[in-house]
Amino acid sequence: MMSKKYIIISPILLILLWAIVSQLQLVDKFFLPDPLTTLTQLIELIKSGIIIDDVFSTLGRVAISFAIAVVIGLPLGLWLGSSEKIYRSFEFVIDFFRSTPATALFPLFLLVFGITDKSKIAVTAFAAILIIIFNTAHGVMNARKSRVLAAKIMGATKTQIFRWILFWESLPQTFIGLRSAISLSLVVIVVTEMFIGTPSGLGRRIIDSQITYEIPTMYAVIILTGIIGYLLNLIFILVEKRFLHWNGK
Amino acid sequence: MSIAISVKNLKKSFKNTEVFEDFSIDFEQGKITAIFGPNGSGKSTLLNTLSGILHKEGGEFTIKDFNHFQFSYIFQNYRESLLPWRTNFDNLALPLQIQNKSKEHIENKVKELQKLFDFNFDWKQYPYELSGGQQQILAFMRALVTEPKVLFIDEPFSALDYENNLRLREHLQRYYMLFKPTILLITHNIEEAIHLAEKIAVFSQKPTRVIEVVDNPLPYPRTVQSLKSEKFHQVKDRVFSIFQKAANL
Repeated sequence: MMSKKYIIISPILLILLWAIVSQLQLVDKFFLPDPLTTLTQLIELIKSGIIIDDVFSTLGRVAISFAIAVVIGLPLGLWLGSSEKIYRSFEFVIDFFRSTPATALFPLFLLVFGITDKSKIAVTAFAAILIIIFNTAHGVMNARKSRVLAAKIMGATKTQIFRWILFWESLPQTFIGLRSAISLSLVVIVVTEMFIGTPSGLGRRIIDSQITYEIPTMYAVIILTGIIGYLLNLIFILVEKRFLHWNGK
Repeated sequence: MSIAISVKNLKKSFKNTEVFEDFSIDFEQGKITAIFGPNGSGKSTLLNTLSGILHKEGGEFTIKDFNHFQFSYIFQNYRESLLPWRTNFDNLALPLQIQNKSKEHIENKVKELQKLFDFNFDWKQYPYELSGGQQQILAFMRALVTEPKVLFIDEPFSALDYENNLRLREHLQRYYMLFKPTILLITHNIEEAIHLAEKIAVFSQKPTRVIEVVDNPLPYPRTVQSLKSEKFHQVKDRVFSIFQKAANL
């Protein structure tokens, strides 16, 4: 596998650049600790178990939000996509809220759901639902006509066409939606954790270490959050490759 | 002689082009009729109208005992009508699944057809793992697995190399002699038309009319040998002269 060899080049370059910048003191050491200090701090945080609690809090919230979004968004997307007329009727609302930053709505959700996990999960699920609906519905609507036509000529009922053709045709686009939704869920959860009323979570840890000027900790947790986001995306790509074996062929 | 498909005063146009103004033709039951004519002479439009994909603007047609479960249509773009998420076996089974047939019934039918076609697929593979020619054979078998009484075929052999082309013609004949369906075959290949068909309907340019229906009395099965026979060449010359006039060559 050629591509695997090349994947490590850019992170190495980035760390090298970081090392050079901090070695030459181009940026004040206080604002940008060197890579070694930061990575040592990261390992320390993991070893001592302090950060593990935060990781699980954040991942737990992401998982619940995402699960809610899938359970609601997937069937809605399939239904809306099954008829162009239905989709067009709802298109404006979907596009409007999809274009509104979910984080802008958080204060509103705080009012409605209170300063608990509920408001974080609700706003995140809301944002993720819209992406899932949008992609799933478009997947169904853009299904190739030739296959549907072939099934119609064979005498297939609407239900059969939906179950055996449209659903499968929509899957590649649906998966794009799911992948975007999980990434967005992490983003929104981490941001909302920075607000009051959160005892633990990666967002909480980042903002706390910034306020108390524990800058190496701040960088370490940012990097950890990045790694988690990357891995979540990677898991989806791997599942996609296995499950949608025909995609692009 | 009984008529299976009867078209009377058919009218159909696209935007500003009149394809059929006042088009009439009868197709005999249990015979292979080749439809031969210049580009854009409305050959596919006729089959698409008869199968209900396109709507007629006037006139009438009847297909004796028409029933979606006993009708098959092999499209020109067969590749896009196979389902890449289904294995080869499940692709072949699709029309029977649509008819809610039992698993045993489906397995038996597939076995029968496989014997007739003398062609062994890896049934657990997927269509995208097959060559273009094999995909075409699969699409053919899928169309025949329901034992249709009426079969429409639009340029079935164009993607095949000559050797596989001849082989598939032989399979089709074998099937035809066993089940005697009414077959309408669109082709651009004069040899193909005469090899397979008992009647060759030569169409004019738009607005389309039937210039002549040429009889082809060669007995079935027509082997590769019969392609060299005197009679074959007589029919071919006849069709060719009519076509020459039709296409203004």
